[in-house]
Amino acid sequence: MASSLAEECTPLKRKYDACFNAWFEGYLEPAVSASITPEQRIKFSQEKAAEFERSCGQLWREYKDCVQRAVKEKGLDVLLDQARVENPLKEPPADSRS
Amino acid sequence: MRFYTQSFLYDDPWSIVSLAYLLRYPNPYSTHILSCDVISREVTPAGSLLTTRLILKTGSLPRWAPKGMIHRAESWVLEESEVDPLGKVMRCTTKNLDHVKVMRVEEHIHIRQTEEGKTLQTTEAMFLSGFGWGLTKKIENYGLAKFKTNLQRSREGFFFILDLIRQSRMQTMTMGAPSSFLSHRFHSGAESKAPAHHEVSGNHSSREDATQTAAPARTGIWSRWKSWLRSG
Repeated sequence: MASSLAEECTPLKRKYDACFNAWFEGYLEPAVSASITPEQRIKFSQEKAAEFERSCGQLWREYKDCVQRAVKEKGLDVLLDQARVENPLKEPPADSRS
Repeated sequence: MRFYTQSFLYDDPWSIVSLAYLLRYPNPYSTHILSCDVISREVTPAGSLLTTRLILKTGSLPRWAPKGMIHRAESWVLEESEVDPLGKVMRCTTKNLDHVKVMRVEEHIHIRQTEEGKTLQTTEAMFLSGFGWGLTKKIENYGLAKFKTNLQRSREGFFFILDLIRQSRMQTMTMGAPSSFLSHRFHSGAESKAPAHHEVSGNHSSREDATQTAAPARTGIWSRWKSWLRSG
């Protein structure tokens, strides 16, 4: 569990990561198979989301609030917005916009 | 634009390779990773997990780089992944967010289960510079060469985590108790066995393809891991 980009978020991140990782390990090995119906998929999704919320929901919100604040403070939200607008590898290589 | 592609076949099941891939940082080889944060995460109605991570990496500049080309040798990287545990497919794209006028590097990872229950990983990377000044090609070639050099290191780090997961699963089988990788992560364990994976040579005539690499020595992994954790 690497550090957070903001020192004050690192303890929250470590708690969240530990919780997520335990949930994720189970999520990767579902009891149901790939041949399930779309309805069963939706049920699976809802169950997994609810399970995550019960175990890690609070930790996630605390960490997310912290890191989102830090992203704004460091001006990284601008970089992120640019990345969402641009899809670099579909543009011609000669692209030289500023 | 320059390309790199490589395929890799693991004997391990898809869930273990995917777990290792998402938990690959930190590891003793990832000292260039300064921070790694989840900035969004959701389970889609179809049951896939979408994650966006923001990663800060250090880098180094080539000696021929013009002064002022890059003000600091750190780079923000955006990693977007989609995990479908029902279809047993994982996709992951990473791209740099800054220094994009100098060069954009985009990496696509695809991890899926094969019919034999093994796991196939394909890696594609693209290097695109719009820098000009007669340096475009040189920058792209540098990016590709650097990527190939770093690949060995990132693979060592990935296998370090993969081995820990393999060991914890073996312990689980031996002891017969329900357990997880995480509960064993800080426990001492047996020496790891040789890694079970194979290079699959690519076949793209116009692309740079992977070369065979020697399997790294893998002794005393637990003691190295523990002492590394303490020092961190």
